[in-house]
Amino acid sequence: MSRAARWGWVITGVTLMGVSGVLAFLLSIGSTNERGFFERHYHWLYWVNVAVAAVLTLVILTAAVRLVVRVRRGRFGSRLLLKLASIFALVGVVPGVMIYAVSYQFVNRSIETWFDVKLASALEAGLNLGRGTLDAMVSDLGNKTRDAADQLADASGPQLLAMERLRDKLGARTVAVVGGKGQILFESGGDTRQLTPDRPSDSMLSRARGGSAVSQLEGLEDEAMALQGGAQIRALALLPNSELRLGLGERYLMVVQRIPASMLANALAVQTANSEYQQRSLERVGLRRMYLGTLTLVLILATFAALLLAVTLGNQLARPLLMLADGVRRVAQGDLSARPVLATRDELGGLTRSFADMTGQLADARAQVQRSVAELESARTHLQTILDNLTAGVLVFDADGHLETVNPGATRILRLPLSACIGRPLAELPQLAGFAVSLDQRFDQALGATDPGERGMERELWQESFELQLDPKQDPLTLLVRGAPLPQGARLVVFDDISEVVSAQRSAAWSEVARRLAHEIKNPLTPIQLSAERMQHKLEAKLEGADQAMLVRSVATIVNQVQAMKQLVNEFRDYARLPSAQLHPLDLNALIQEVLSLYAEAQEREHLFAELAPGLPHIKGDASQLRQVIHNLVQNALDAVHERPDGRVLVRSALALTEAGTPRAVRLQIIDNGPGFAEKVLKRAFEPYVTTKAKGTGLGLAVVKKIADEHGARISLRNLHPIADAGSPSDEELELPVIGAQVSLSFSNLTPATEPGAPGAKT
Amino acid sequence: MLARIVIAACFAALLALLPGPARADGVELAQISARKADDGLELSFATRFELGRAAVDALHKDVPLYFVAEATVLRSRWYWRDARVSRAERTWRLKWDSLTRQYRVSTGGLHQSFATLDEALTVLRGQSAWRIAEPKDLDDSGGYYLEFSYKLDATQLPRLMQIGGLQSGFALSVEQKHYFAPDFTLK
Repeated sequence: MSRAARWGWVITGVTLMGVSGVLAFLLSIGSTNERGFFERHYHWLYWVNVAVAAVLTLVILTAAVRLVVRVRRGRFGSRLLLKLASIFALVGVVPGVMIYAVSYQFVNRSIETWFDVKLASALEAGLNLGRGTLDAMVSDLGNKTRDAADQLADASGPQLLAMERLRDKLGARTVAVVGGKGQILFESGGDTRQLTPDRPSDSMLSRARGGSAVSQLEGLEDEAMALQGGAQIRALALLPNSELRLGLGERYLMVVQRIPASMLANALAVQTANSEYQQRSLERVGLRRMYLGTLTLVLILATFAALLLAVTLGNQLARPLLMLADGVRRVAQGDLSARPVLATRDELGGLTRSFADMTGQLADARAQVQRSVAELESARTHLQTILDNLTAGVLVFDADGHLETVNPGATRILRLPLSACIGRPLAELPQLAGFAVSLDQRFDQALGATDPGERGMERELWQESFELQLDPKQDPLTLLVRGAPLPQGARLVVFDDISEVVSAQRSAAWSEVARRLAHEIKNPLTPIQLSAERMQHKLEAKLEGADQAMLVRSVATIVNQVQAMKQLVNEFRDYARLPSAQLHPLDLNALIQEVLSLYAEAQEREHLFAELAPGLPHIKGDASQLRQVIHNLVQNALDAVHERPDGRVLVRSALALTEAGTPRAVRLQIIDNGPGFAEKVLKRAFEPYVTTKAKGTGLGLAVVKKIADEHGARISLRNLHPIADAGSPSDEELELPVIGAQVSLSFSNLTPATEPGAPGAKT
Repeated sequence: MLARIVIAACFAALLALLPGPARADGVELAQISARKADDGLELSFATRFELGRAAVDALHKDVPLYFVAEATVLRSRWYWRDARVSRAERTWRLKWDSLTRQYRVSTGGLHQSFATLDEALTVLRGQSAWRIAEPKDLDDSGGYYLEFSYKLDATQLPRLMQIGGLQSGFALSVEQKHYFAPDFTLK
């Protein structure tokens, strides 16, 4: 039931109660009142009250049915409401019904006791007494009148004197002689207050005509007049006509006597009492009905009020409880939105307030947890992003040695589908079985060897480099592996591919070696050469014939070899002590053509071609060093195809564009159709002293690499296969026959396009 | 649905309240006539009825009975409610005087006592030359009619008797409607 509906019920009930209460009041008051407004309309009042009672009963029934229906349907809280309403209703109705029953009996009995047989007969007797007295007076006067009439007749004609005497004797008010038509002939006494003569009625005259005396009471119609002397007895008797005078007709003697006022008052009082008693006895049924009806009406009103109060109070009591229960249910369902609070100051209100506080705290706590989870999640994502973008490989093993986490770096370095074996031991991958074993050993060492007293994180960390042969065809990977224990027995392994570092270290070592060798070797070479030449110069003249020839030949050999050694040493020195590049804008195509002009012979024999893209932007570079680069590369290529009659070398320049269409890099490619690089050499081609040629220092490509690094250019080597001449080689392509090799250099260090005509390097 | 029932009930109540042309309950209107005299319209009527046992019983228990004759002269109007030209009412009070054992009939200021009930009833059963309208109220335009009723007025009985429920003997009434001829005799 909504708030408005409940108020509607209450107001309706109170209004009806008020109206019917007033009506009932008026009804009961009216019973003692004389004919007032409500007296005259009491019938309507009665029915209005009945209607109100019916409406109230209907309201109660409706409310009860609604409640029962709600209980049947299992509406939340209806049972509690029913219970409370029943208790209150019981408390209200039971005393009402008891009072009603007692009052009903009381009213019934007391009304019956009012009507007593004794009282009735006493009143009847009193009335008879009065009636008898009056009757006696009437008949007495009649007899006396009869006698008086006879005496008057004997006295030969009525005379005023005799009538006066008669009036005194009878104590009468009027004594008169009346004619046959009722006319007064003459009279004694009489009522001076009446102007018209007091005539007897026709019925009396006709009855008196028979000869007997007629007497009757008069003037009792109006009680007030009767008590003031209006009540009288009239007696009429025929005067015997002794003289038989014709024409006179019949004459009557009329005597009027007053009834004593005290006697009449008593008689009238008895009559009034009897009349009222008789009326009351007639009204008995109505009286009882009125009392009982009023009583019933009051009972219904009281019951209704009790029930209404019961429902209202029940609601009042149940509402906070229902609110709480509803709140608890909703909290149990996970709804922590704000709860309404009762504005009362009693304990129930406090309870709802506490509950609302509790819910609020719960909501806060949950929000905090959610926030923490979100923060955790973002931190995790953050960490994961970092992990994913690490170049180092990261592996995490759980306590059982199963792989738990792998980052893309690890997959890339090991070139194995590591993420597929998450949750399994690392040793299941055959290539990594050995690696796993050595990791375990290393961890065991780090953990086991530590003195328990000094155990600390630093001591449990370890670092070691491993050589890992994943593919027999390729060089082994050199990995720098760091291990650390994690909480709950997990283990963290971080490794870097340091193959290139090792390679760089190797290059640096070679530079140092070359520098020292050059220094150490070059010093004795000049004395050797000088000594040999001096020896020839001194001894040539002294020797003859075969000896001289042998000397000359030997000295020439020494000088040549020394010269060759000098060149070798110079190359080493050049490699080691390459001057730092002086970068200026230059035109790559011009440089290529300048270098190729030295290979005119090869071009003429159609071993060497140039394919230059026009309009290249200038690059920043050192002209002399780049010249050497081109020279070295072209020479290498020509060397590679030297033994083939159809050998051809292509020098190509091209422009690489970005997606936006702006120049990104200038590319220089030297392509040959020679035997290509051996697989082993491909990885280490830029290290000094690695060569595919029978003769050569192996420094050519190392120098090229070094210069390219100085220019910030990317250099790549690859073998060409029949179908693939672009893109990186896949495993299958590696199986195909090699039809050539390609070296490409990308210069991304361009001069701004706004100054294409910048002065190039001297060519 | 409820609204329809309520409306139907209202119509039924209205129909019940509308005065019927003639209704009688225990009273027979034996004669009724009207005459236009110099000093107004005179009505004469006579009824026939017998008092029921309950009424006689109540009478003998000193309960006064009131008999009321009511005559209303109206003129029909097609455009509006009928106009009331005049209205006359006469009340007879019949009472048993237990002290003198007489039946007393009072009407206006006049009291009459009768030894028997029949005599008393004869007086109040009818009326002759009862002036019910002044001459100034009447013209010759016609369209007059008379509403006449004669009844035992139960509402003047003691109230508690009415609550107690009246027996059938008290229901005495007659109600009639008559049109006047142009000369104000009843049609």
